[in-house]
Amino acid sequence: MSKPSPEVYERGRGMDAHNKVMRDIRSRKQKTYDPHEPTRVWIDEDNTPDGVYDSLTIILNTGGCRWARAGGCTMCGYVAESVEGGTVAHEALMDQIRVCLDHEAEEMDDGEQAGLIKIYTSGSFLDEREVPAETRDAIAETFADRDRMVVESLPDFVTREKLADFTDRGLETDVAIGLETATDRVRHDCVNKYFDFADFEDACEEAAAAGGGVKAYLLMKPPFLSEPEALDDMKSSIRRCAAVDNCHTVSMNPTNVQRYTMVDELFFNGGYRPPWLWSVADALRETADVDAIVVSDPVGGGQERGAHNCGDCDELVFKAVKDFNLRQDPSVFDQVSCDCEATWEFVLDNETSYNMPLVK
Amino acid sequence: MTDYFEVHARDGAARIGELRLSDSVTTPAVVDDVLADAGSLWATERELPDGSDDVLTVLPHRSLPAGSADEVRESFAVDYPDMDFPSAAVVTADTADDYGADAYVLSDAQGFVGHARAFRDNVIEAKENLPADTALMLSGVATPRNVSLLVYAGVDLVDETLARARGLEGFYLTSDGEYFLEDLDELPCACEACRKPASEFTRADAADHNANALRAELARVRRRVRDGRLRDYVEGQARHDQWLTALFRRFDQQYSFMEERVPVIRDSELTAASEESIDRVEIQRFADRVTKRYRNRFDNPLVLLPCSAKKPYSESQSHRQFQEAVQYRAHMVSMTSPIGVVPQELELTYPAQHYDSVVTGDWSEDEKSFVAEVLRRYLERNDYPRIIAHLPPGAYTEIVERVADDLDLDVEFTVSEHPTTTESIGNLMRTLDGEPKFTREEREHNVVKALADYQLGPDAGDALFSDVELEMTSRYPKLQVWNDAGVQLATMVPQYGVLSFTLEGAKVWRDSDAPTKTVEIDGFVPHGSVLAPGVVDADADIRPGDEVVVEGPKAFAIGRAEMGGRELIESTRGIGVEIRHVEER
Repeated sequence: MSKPSPEVYERGRGMDAHNKVMRDIRSRKQKTYDPHEPTRVWIDEDNTPDGVYDSLTIILNTGGCRWARAGGCTMCGYVAESVEGGTVAHEALMDQIRVCLDHEAEEMDDGEQAGLIKIYTSGSFLDEREVPAETRDAIAETFADRDRMVVESLPDFVTREKLADFTDRGLETDVAIGLETATDRVRHDCVNKYFDFADFEDACEEAAAAGGGVKAYLLMKPPFLSEPEALDDMKSSIRRCAAVDNCHTVSMNPTNVQRYTMVDELFFNGGYRPPWLWSVADALRETADVDAIVVSDPVGGGQERGAHNCGDCDELVFKAVKDFNLRQDPSVFDQVSCDCEATWEFVLDNETSYNMPLVK
Repeated sequence: MTDYFEVHARDGAARIGELRLSDSVTTPAVVDDVLADAGSLWATERELPDGSDDVLTVLPHRSLPAGSADEVRESFAVDYPDMDFPSAAVVTADTADDYGADAYVLSDAQGFVGHARAFRDNVIEAKENLPADTALMLSGVATPRNVSLLVYAGVDLVDETLARARGLEGFYLTSDGEYFLEDLDELPCACEACRKPASEFTRADAADHNANALRAELARVRRRVRDGRLRDYVEGQARHDQWLTALFRRFDQQYSFMEERVPVIRDSELTAASEESIDRVEIQRFADRVTKRYRNRFDNPLVLLPCSAKKPYSESQSHRQFQEAVQYRAHMVSMTSPIGVVPQELELTYPAQHYDSVVTGDWSEDEKSFVAEVLRRYLERNDYPRIIAHLPPGAYTEIVERVADDLDLDVEFTVSEHPTTTESIGNLMRTLDGEPKFTREEREHNVVKALADYQLGPDAGDALFSDVELEMTSRYPKLQVWNDAGVQLATMVPQYGVLSFTLEGAKVWRDSDAPTKTVEIDGFVPHGSVLAPGVVDADADIRPGDEVVVEGPKAFAIGRAEMGGRELIESTRGIGVEIRHVEER
C-alpha cells in the first residue's frame, strides 16, 4: 500500500509526537466514572433518509476508545469520560441501557418511544473490546421494535456480520464514522487519526453488504488550520463523502474546545479559535446541492469554546442551522445577517496559520 | 545568504532596513502589499513556488500556533530550502534556524503579544537563533499603539491585518488606545478615511483609518530609529498600555541583549524623563565604565559638584563660577541623575553631554540609591587626599553623607544655601587655599588617557600612552595626540567625547597590553568601508560605534564599527566598518 518515503517517515514521527502529547494531557485528568451509568442520554429530533424522527441518543460508557488510549485525536476529550481500567462487563453495559430506557420513558409522552436510537461510545461500538458480541446482540434485541439505529465506529471494525445483528432484526442501521475530513493529510497530521479515506470507502461497502448505511462525521476546523483552510477543507470533504455510495448523511461538527485535549492547550495559549458560525452556515449553504443529507450540531455554539460569531447574531445563526438540519433548505441562511459578516469575510481573506487566530 | 534584506541603521535592537524587492521597501514597515503566502503544508502538499523579485514569498510552511507542545513543534517543523528569490520562512523561536531566507515569521505571535515576559523570551530566543542580518516578522498583531515597542524589541516587518480586523469589529485605533466607534462624537484624526462626520463613519472606514494610523506610527518610529531616539519615544508611548511598559522593563532586565545592540556613541539628545531612564543601556554602561575602567590620575583634592542643565557642564554659568573658584587646584567631578558621576575628563563623552533630564530638585529614592551606588564604587576605586562636596543641601548632600558613612571618608562641605552664592563660592575658593595647581599639559594628558580607559578598558590610557612622549596640539576639546617623533596618534572627537586613532595610533593600540577590538578581513584593501561579506572574523565584544582595528592579508586599517561583533561575523550584507585610514601590506 504505502512505500517508504520521507513523507511517511515524517508522518510516523508526527503521529508519535501527537500521541505522546495527548497521553500526557489526558493523564492529568483524575476523574473516573460509574460503569453502571451511561455517560449521557438525551431526546432530540433527527433528519434521516426516511424523514424526521424523534431520537434517543445514548453515549455509552465503555472501556473507552482504543485509539485514545494510545494518545488519540487532538480534539477529543471524550476518552476522559470513560471508565477507569479498560473494559466494562456485559451486565454493567446492560444496566446503562436500562437507565437510558428509563430516561426515555420519563421524558416522552405516555406510550410514545423514539423511532431512532443512536448509540455512541466515544470510541467504536463495533469494537468487541469495547462492546462484546453478546452485549451487541442483546442491545439489538432490546431495540428490535424501533425503526432506525445508528452506532458509532471507526471504519476498521465495520463488518457486514456485526451489522447483521441489527439489519437481520429489521432495523434500518447506519454506522456513524468519525471521518473528520476527506483529506488524508489533514486527518493524519491535524486530527491524528490513523485511517485513510479509502478505509472509510471500504467501511461504506461493508455496511452496504449488510443492508446498512453510513453517516459520515466531519470536523469543522481541526487544530493547525486557519479559518479559510478549514472551510475549504470542509466543503470539499462534504462533496467527497456525499459522492461515496451508501454514505447518505454527513454530519458536520464544528470543533468545540474540550478539556484535556491538544486543542484546549492551543486555545488556552492563544493559538486556536473554534470556527465561525458563518463558516458553518457557508459550508451548509454552498454544499446544499449534494446528494446527501448534510446536518450540523454546533456543540457549544455561541460560546467561546464552541463555534461562534460576534455574540450578537450567534443565536439567530444557530437557529438557522438547526432549521437547515430538518429542512435542507439553504434559503434559511438568507434570513440572517450581521455586521460581523464583514469581519468573517476579512478573516477568510487574511487569516493564515502563522497569524491565527486573527480575531478571537 | 541574505540577498534581499539589508540593515542600514541601528538603534538598539531596532533597525532601519531595506527589503530589496523590485520596488524596495524601507523597514520597519507593513508588508501586506508585498507578501505572497505560498500556503500551509498542514492543509495540502505544495510545490515550491517560483517566487518573484516583486514580492516576499512566504515559503510553504507548517505553522505551529501558540500552545503547540515541544514534541509537536520538533516533529512537524519544516526544513526550508534556500531559494534564490526573496523568501520568508515560518518558524517558532525555539525551532528557528538559518534556512537562507531573508525574513522569518514567528507563527505563535498571537500567544505572546500582550504578555511582556513571554514576548521578550520569544523574541530574544528567535534573535539568537536567526542570522543577525535577516528580517523578523510578526503577522496579525500590530496596532498603532504597540508597533513602536515591537520595533524596539527588534521586529522589522508587520502587517495591517489586525488593525483592519479591529476596524471591522467596530474599534477605532489610535497610538494611545482604542475606542468603540459608537462612542466617538468626533474623529480624533485627520487621515483621509476620517475626513467625514463621525455620524457617517463606517466600520470599513475604521479599518482604513486603523491601517493609516499604523502606517503613520511606523513612519514616526522609522524617524526615531534614524535619529537614535526610539528609546526616548517608547518610554512615553509605552504608558498607553500596561503590558507595553512591562515589555521594555523586561528587556531592560535582559541587559546583555540590549547592550550588545546599543551604540556606544550618538550625537543625538538622550531624554531621561522617566523612572526607567536609569535602566537604559547608555546610562548603565556609562556608570559601569566610569567605575570599572576609568581611573583618576590627578593628585589633587576631589571637588564634587552638582550637574548643570547646560552641557557640557563646563560651559554652564554655574560651572564657570566653580572653575574660577577651583582654579585647577582640584579634580572636578559632577554628580547627576541619572548618569551618576561624571569626571571632568569625560564631560563630553556620550551620553554625559547628550542627556537632558527633568529637573524639579526632588530626587526619587531610586535616583538617590543609583547615584549613591555609583559614587560609592567610584570612591572605592579612586583615592583622593581630600574630598570637598560643593553641593546644594538636600538630595546631593544626603547621598554624599550616605556614601561617606559607608566608606568612612571625611568630606568637607562648602555650600551654604546654594552653590553659586557669593558665600559658597568664597568657601570653595578658600577651602582650596594652598593646594597646588595642575598644569594644562597634565590636564590634557589626563583627558586623553581617561578617554582611552573609558573606550578601551581599565588602564588602557597608560598602556597606550605611557611609553610615548605625548605632544598635544590644538585646544581642548579638539585635542590632537602626537608622539615625540612627530607622528599623530589620535584625535579627540568633541561631539562624542571619544578618541579616534590614526594608523600609527592603531598600531600603538594593537601592540599595547590594552584589549584590542579587531575585525579580520579577506585579502583586499578596503577604501571607505568594509562590507559585511568581506569580514572573516570579529571580536564578539565590538559594539556599534566602537573604534576597531581592521586587519587582513593585504591591509591594515582603523575605523569605526557600524554593527556589533556578532552581526559583523554573521551578516552577508551591509556596511560593517567605516574606514578612516588604511595602508596596504
